Amino acid sequence: MDSASANSARSKMEGKRNGGIRSLFTVGTFDWTFFIVTIALLAIGIVMMFSASYAYAGYYNGNRLFYVKQQAKWLILGIALMIFMSFVSTKFIRVFWIPGLLLSYACLALVLVLPAVRGVHRWIYIGSFNFQPTEIAKLAIILSFAHLIAYNYEKMGTFKYGFAPFAVILATTVVLVIREPHVSATIIICLIGGIMMLVGGTKLRWFFLVGALGVGVLIWLIFFSGKMDYAMKRIEIWQNPFLDLRGDGWQTVQSLYAIASGGLMGSGIGNSMQKYMYVSEPQNDFVFAIVCEELGFVGAVIIIILFAILIWRGFVIAMRAKDRFSSMLVLGIIVQLGIQVMLNIAVVTNTIPNTGISLPFFSYGGSSMIMLLMQMGIVLSVSKNGYR
Amino acid sequence: MKENNNSFTGRGISKKSINKMLIIMLALVIVAPVILIISLANIQFVKNADYQQRAITQQLRETVVTPNRGTIYDTNMKPLASSASVWTIVLNPKAVKDEEQRNLVSDGMAEILDIDRDTVYEKAGKNRYYEVLKKKVDHDTYEAVTQFITENKLSCLYSIDDSKRYYPYGAFASSILGFTGTDNNGLSGLESYYESQLAGTPGWILQAKDATGREMEFGYETSYEAKKGANLVLTIDEVIQHYLEKHIDLAATENNVTNRVTGIVMDVDTCAILGMATTGEFDPNSPFEVVDPGLVRKLSELEEDEEKYKKTKLQYLQTSWQNKAVSDTYEPGSVFKSFTAAMALEEKVVKQDDMFTCTGSYKPIASMKSGISCHRHAGHGTISFRTGLQQSCNPCFMKVGERIGADLFYKYFGAFGFREHTGIDLPGEANSVYHSLETLQNPISLATDSFGQTFRVTPIQIITAMSCIANGGKLCTPHVVDKMVDDDGNIISSSDTTVRRQVISQATSEEMRELLKSVVDVGGAKNAYIPGYRVAGKTGTSEKRDIYDENGNQITDLRIASFCGFAPADDPKVAVLIVLDEPHASNISGGTIASPVAKAVLEDVLPYLGVEPIFTEKELKDLDISTPNVTGESVDEAQTRVKGRGLKVKIMGNGTKVLSQVPMSGEAISKEGTVVLFTDIISGQELVTVPNLIGMTVSEVNSVLINAGLNVKFTGSDLSSGGATCYRQSIPVGDQVSPGTIITADFRYSTSDDA
Repeated sequence: MDSASANSARSKMEGKRNGGIRSLFTVGTFDWTFFIVTIALLAIGIVMMFSASYAYAGYYNGNRLFYVKQQAKWLILGIALMIFMSFVSTKFIRVFWIPGLLLSYACLALVLVLPAVRGVHRWIYIGSFNFQPTEIAKLAIILSFAHLIAYNYEKMGTFKYGFAPFAVILATTVVLVIREPHVSATIIICLIGGIMMLVGGTKLRWFFLVGALGVGVLIWLIFFSGKMDYAMKRIEIWQNPFLDLRGDGWQTVQSLYAIASGGLMGSGIGNSMQKYMYVSEPQNDFVFAIVCEELGFVGAVIIIILFAILIWRGFVIAMRAKDRFSSMLVLGIIVQLGIQVMLNIAVVTNTIPNTGISLPFFSYGGSSMIMLLMQMGIVLSVSKNGYR
Repeated sequence: MKENNNSFTGRGISKKSINKMLIIMLALVIVAPVILIISLANIQFVKNADYQQRAITQQLRETVVTPNRGTIYDTNMKPLASSASVWTIVLNPKAVKDEEQRNLVSDGMAEILDIDRDTVYEKAGKNRYYEVLKKKVDHDTYEAVTQFITENKLSCLYSIDDSKRYYPYGAFASSILGFTGTDNNGLSGLESYYESQLAGTPGWILQAKDATGREMEFGYETSYEAKKGANLVLTIDEVIQHYLEKHIDLAATENNVTNRVTGIVMDVDTCAILGMATTGEFDPNSPFEVVDPGLVRKLSELEEDEEKYKKTKLQYLQTSWQNKAVSDTYEPGSVFKSFTAAMALEEKVVKQDDMFTCTGSYKPIASMKSGISCHRHAGHGTISFRTGLQQSCNPCFMKVGERIGADLFYKYFGAFGFREHTGIDLPGEANSVYHSLETLQNPISLATDSFGQTFRVTPIQIITAMSCIANGGKLCTPHVVDKMVDDDGNIISSSDTTVRRQVISQATSEEMRELLKSVVDVGGAKNAYIPGYRVAGKTGTSEKRDIYDENGNQITDLRIASFCGFAPADDPKVAVLIVLDEPHASNISGGTIASPVAKAVLEDVLPYLGVEPIFTEKELKDLDISTPNVTGESVDEAQTRVKGRGLKVKIMGNGTKVLSQVPMSGEAISKEGTVVLFTDIISGQELVTVPNLIGMTVSEVNSVLINAGLNVKFTGSDLSSGGATCYRQSIPVGDQVSPGTIITADFRYSTSDDA
């Protein structure tokens, strides 16, 4: 611990003394707990995603290894990126807050003019590669908010510095995302932004104002835009998914069957029955249901605890960060991770109504994996600069 | 820039921010995970039983494996009904990938399975996992479908093993065998009666299936093997059954019988059924098709009126499915006098030489306006009881009935089994209709009962009771199934002879045998006589009294002609019953048309069963002579040898050697027959026209044929007593045949001595 802080202190000194390109890179030891838990979750994640996708891939792609092969490629690339990012100084990253924001807006706008896929504008395809602009939007929000909070840290209590810029960025982003439409991403972006502002020092009264506004919009949506029935149906199915067993309740019911079938110890890796096309797209949002079936209550709780440890370490890193920007950056990243994990598991267990949120480290998806590991790399980078 | 620098190097975030972070961390690291773990525990430990059960229900598929149905064998293990492998072709519409595949499957299956394309197309579009395309396809079709599936790499088509009932003999013994439905369940006959034994025990396979209904790879699978049904070995002998069917079919045609002929051949000691048949049988391979040519013709006339066609067809089918021998009742008529006689002798109320006077009718109650008439309206005069039975005198039997009395008659009527089911192992045994003890107190009822009218019994009851008279008085339970065996021949169960009761004494039985033999020898059943085989029996011609035409007028001229008897009389082996229901011929008495059928059956069956003929001296004298083989011998030698057998010789041609002979060696011809010897080739080409023999007496036939240069073989009744006439000749009138050809002439008595 002493040597680590000495190291970081020395690097700081050296960075300061030498300036130039070397100051853009970090030296020293990162948070090993955070790193090991990340690697552990990645390992468990890809094995379980493989198991969960096995039957589905065979049925729909004619190749049982389809998803795991794709995911493995992204995983290797992602880990490399994570390690690279752990050497990149946040000073360098901070420079990208405006380009990041612009890229985010560009992508969010572009996706709206591209043809809809399965009725929604969520993916941008470049050849065989595809990604969700919301992934970029999340990071752009985190980056820009971290910068603005750090920059205006002393004046965060004011409307001009502590509320208005954030509200503008958040509102423009939300307006674009909701047009996709992508409700769950909207909620996550608002939560990330809100928490960062709260921690950054924005006055609570502005939250009440925004909250009141939000309730107003919600009431308008429910009563005047004809989305009432849709919302009520969602709630109804949440309360009793068996009402629409063959329709909207299917996903939830099959997920519950899978979890229940797992029991205490689970049926063992590879032995899920529910993954045989009962749980829809078991490699995606509902991968955790298959995890519960195969690894049981014990396995599921261990994974939840691993996530908790990761989040805990993330907060510790944020709190110990040497500068405000790094601190807020890590906070944003960790809050995003934490919210996604908890909401995903809450959906899978039918604790909240069904909404499409993937499970970090587990769910299939190349672009989200890259984005996630890049952010984990940033956290690791910050962890080096922290003092212990 | 300074501020910027500050924020980079500043000591970081304030305590206030740290506190807020701690709260949020608490929420994400402790509160949320705890809520989720509680939620998981709720699902995995509280609601798990219900959810798991629902999951298993949707994941598992139980497939029932139909067991192979048992085979039905005749007594010599010839299969009469067996099951062959067939396949059911099934479509899984959910697995039809696209419109192209839908069309491919529709076209392919329509062609291979010979079914409607549009139906397949429609089925392929359904939101279901299971649609049967065709059931019971044969092996070739199955192969074609399998090839089609492989070639096109289809996952939406598959086949299920099934079996189909197959009856190798077609429309044969079908009223006994019955038939099975599309699910291989027995619907009539033995197939129905022994359904549970034949069906076997179904097995099942429990398989895990995925949400698309396909079998899960590495999935859970467990099975319980199907157990094949038991095989039935019948007492029916295929050969005897064939003889019986052949003769009753001929009788039905010759006598234009409109309500079917039924016949039973029974082992008298065990009451095992050796043959049982009714004319107009269905083909159990296609039980819903009318096969009888006569009925088919009648149906085709109705084809324009669809409703009437369907109704009539169904009526024909239902009739053909009914086993008349068991499920129909009739008034036995004079055949029943056998039983009246047996009870009278058993109770010693009458002796064979007791005398009775018949004046042509008799009034059981003096106050009756007109008496109950005898078939011989002139009356039999004063005759012995023995003669009364031989000549089937009604007044004689009415008086015997009076002597027996209502109580005893009622007792014996039941003792012979006429008030109960025989218990034969066939479905649908009919209830007999009879006088109660109270109504029998009416002398008229007793009188008519005594000669077999005014009550109805089943054919199987009559022959079972006749076997009882023949076998020493034991009334047994008739049965069709001898034993049940498994595929390795191990006996699962066997039916022993069940003696229901001793009805008459051994002595009475013996007396009855002799009496009934005399009925055949000299009485009304002469047409059943077979030299050497001591046939005993009684004929009957009963009125059908409860038939009305469309206008409600009673039809009075319908009769049932029957014969029931057994042979050999001194050591009975088989009993036979022939019933012709509604014959329409010049003579429709049982003695004339039923006896010859029984005789023909017995003539085939007795030698087949290895019963040795014992000829009386008189019979020996009349026996046909076997022709010696003289072909190739010199004319002189041949002439000597033929004459040495007591036969005449006719030589055709001028050669010195016999080139050929008619009849051929070993053929039997009557005494005084002629063997024609051909000594050159040309003479063999001179042909003779066959004359008409029908209606001629024995001596007339003899002289006509001898004059024509033909030989005769007499068959039929005991020809020595005279009076019999030819009613059937083996080669039709006008045919051209070689000289010396044997023409078989069937003779019978025209008799009405059986009321």
